[in-house]
Amino acid sequence: MQVIENSKVKETLYLEKLENGLTVMVIPKKGMKKKYMIWGTNYGSNENVFIVPGENTKTEVPNGIAHFLEHKLFEQENGTNSLDTLTALGVDANAFTTNDMTAYLFGCTDNFYPAMDELMDYVQNPYFTDENVEKEKGIIGQEIMMYDDSPDWKVYLNTMQILYHNHPVKIDVVGTIDSISKIDKEILYKCYHTFYNLSNMAIAVCGDFEPEKMLEEIKKRLKENKVEGNIQTFYPEEPDTIVKEKIEQKMEVSRPMYTIGIKVKPTDNPEEMVKRDIAIQILLELLVGKSSRLYKELYNKGIVFGGIGANYEFSENYAHVLISGQSNEPEQVYSKVKEEINRQKQEGISEADFQRIKKKLYGEYVKDYDDVESIANMFLANYFMGINSFEYLNQIDAIDVEYLTQVLNDVFKEEKMVISIVKN
Amino acid sequence: MNYTKKEIKKGIKLHILNTDKFKTNLVAIFLTTKLERETVTANALISAVLRRGSNTLKTQEEISKQLEELYGASFDCGIDKTGDNQVLKFYIETVNDTFLPQTNETILKKAIENILDIILNPLIEDNGFKKEYVEQEKNNMKQRIEGRVDNKRRYALDRCIEEMYQGKPFGLYRFGYVEDLKDINEKNLYERYKQLIEQCKIDIFVSGNVNEEVANIIAENQNITNLEEREPIYNQESEKNTVKQGEKIETMDVMQGKLVVGLDVNSQSEDEKYNVMIYNTILGGSANSKIFQNVREKANLAYEASSRYFKYKDNIFINCGIEISNYEKALNLIKKQLEDMKNGNFTEEEVENAKKAIISSIKTIDDEQDTSITYYFGQEMSGNQKSVDEYIERIGKVTKDDVEQVAHKVEINTIYFLRN
Repeated sequence: MQVIENSKVKETLYLEKLENGLTVMVIPKKGMKKKYMIWGTNYGSNENVFIVPGENTKTEVPNGIAHFLEHKLFEQENGTNSLDTLTALGVDANAFTTNDMTAYLFGCTDNFYPAMDELMDYVQNPYFTDENVEKEKGIIGQEIMMYDDSPDWKVYLNTMQILYHNHPVKIDVVGTIDSISKIDKEILYKCYHTFYNLSNMAIAVCGDFEPEKMLEEIKKRLKENKVEGNIQTFYPEEPDTIVKEKIEQKMEVSRPMYTIGIKVKPTDNPEEMVKRDIAIQILLELLVGKSSRLYKELYNKGIVFGGIGANYEFSENYAHVLISGQSNEPEQVYSKVKEEINRQKQEGISEADFQRIKKKLYGEYVKDYDDVESIANMFLANYFMGINSFEYLNQIDAIDVEYLTQVLNDVFKEEKMVISIVKN
Repeated sequence: MNYTKKEIKKGIKLHILNTDKFKTNLVAIFLTTKLERETVTANALISAVLRRGSNTLKTQEEISKQLEELYGASFDCGIDKTGDNQVLKFYIETVNDTFLPQTNETILKKAIENILDIILNPLIEDNGFKKEYVEQEKNNMKQRIEGRVDNKRRYALDRCIEEMYQGKPFGLYRFGYVEDLKDINEKNLYERYKQLIEQCKIDIFVSGNVNEEVANIIAENQNITNLEEREPIYNQESEKNTVKQGEKIETMDVMQGKLVVGLDVNSQSEDEKYNVMIYNTILGGSANSKIFQNVREKANLAYEASSRYFKYKDNIFINCGIEISNYEKALNLIKKQLEDMKNGNFTEEEVENAKKAIISSIKTIDDEQDTSITYYFGQEMSGNQKSVDEYIERIGKVTKDDVEQVAHKVEINTIYFLRN
């Protein structure tokens, strides 16, 4: 296996790309009682148009299908449900779907190998019937309605609606009651056979393990894999512009919730992705973080309470900054954020502030290495973007004020900004 | 992991969790006081005012900058209900010096000084808290209290608890009440603060790769030496005092109905509560549970369908998000599961599986520092001295018969439904 050490956090990644295309990552954690495994496919709600290997024409599938497939994969031909089987072993099993990936996982102290048998069996053996597909529509329908009652989720989704014209990142991962009604077993199999190819998948394991032995255990449990060649997926063309600047929705909330979005031109260069991510995190701290001038002003005036949430989301084909919170005067927050960005651009970034925030961020990256579950999840999600998570600890030293200034000017553009508000 | 506890002064305990598994050190300070209608709002507000500035670091900005300099030490505070007590919790987490670029820094010592300074050496002006901070935090607290409608699922659960414990300490909202705020000012809040600090139970936890020195750093800190001994005033026993409410239906602008069923377990002893944990796991505590299987997987009425056991108060709360028109159907299914539990319609295997799940979660207690701290604080509060191994052993002994006995004691107290 390839051995990648990081001297800063004193952790090691063991990585192997098998001949059948599957990538295996093991991050040993001596002394931890919890063991964790996650198996993901580089396939999420965004992959809606693709060519099934062996066919010539494009297939377009209903929104929410990757998530639907995630629910159904637990179903077994003998009538059992793998979630039940795993739970009966005393392990904590789950699965999730994002815009970019789908993953199946469990964490436990005992019964790791029997649980691994089950996980690796069900992910490789789909069993869909008309009946079991129909019944899931009721359950997912209630999941959709649960999100409908969540103002935080609505304010986020609406931001996506006005940032993006066509890109599927604007579509709710779970789909709609209408879109999922069009899902049937044939189409689920099609998606499965296209995207659940080992060459499109990766496993991350974290816990007190011997890496080489773990690799052998994984290999033993793999079925023969037909290498299908490249999966062709298609994204609609997305203009650089925003759709419109403002969106509002009425919901019963105590006070308005807002999300400010900034559309960013994506990059598919992994090194640049990491550097830019670090730079944007530093800039967001400088602009709206707890020690920032703007936060102090807004807090003292009672315009914001609690913190201002800020993060950067990206893949190879979309990227945006989100700044969010609750305020009686969201419009005021919006114009103040714009002003603050301009002020930073004009006055320049202070070296002392930058050094202090860099220390903070460094500490936060180190803290990412204490929990087996978050370590494995982080390595897996980053891997699908071509990123080795250790790079964050290495690249942070390469960031300087000059680079920050460049990112500030390239990313924080007024004409790329939108605001979404949910209020009474 | 090595756990030691000692009393620094009467009523003030230092708990040290020594472990080399983590990259960080976590310091937690808990102030425990009686949950009372008269003081609940002021206590919550005190915690909000303290983090605005201390006598040394006078503004939030100074505090934040100091934390950033300490490699992103994270400072956090919260308000919890633990049985019939209100607990003001303060945390600071720092990177262990081993993982820092410069080796001569002693982040932990500074962090301890900072957190003690924030809690015990507040910014005082004219014999009161800083007026500006108190007024701003009153406004923030009002927003926070009103904000509880924003999370509908949590709101429905809180409302069910309020109904069951009307007029009782546990029925109080942990952040207090908007109508109290108008009578609070910087002077009387400071008076309440002094009283709280004199009387409350204080528990200080330090977890991480720490040596003996840390105990001295704390014991010799001036903010600690200034504290008086005390016979701490808090509720050691939790009253059994629910009020039967029957059915309570409320409306709000929601798409989905939120159903909460509050159960009284009526355990006869602390020891019996281990049996209840198994009962709850089989009833609604896992994907194999009766509620998940019957309400979600068979009837497809819900995505979320589960139950939780509140050990201190000996209640179980069942939660489901359902189509509003399915209220009766879901409720009948839930009642049927409770009956089935009574009639012993569950297998030995289900009991064994539930034990496995609980034992697995007990074993991971010391894989997370905050979980360990919560565990040892729970031991401290319940006067229970079970080690993790004894805990596992006790769970292992639960039999199907024990679980059936629990089932016979369980009664529905309140059915709460939030609908449109």
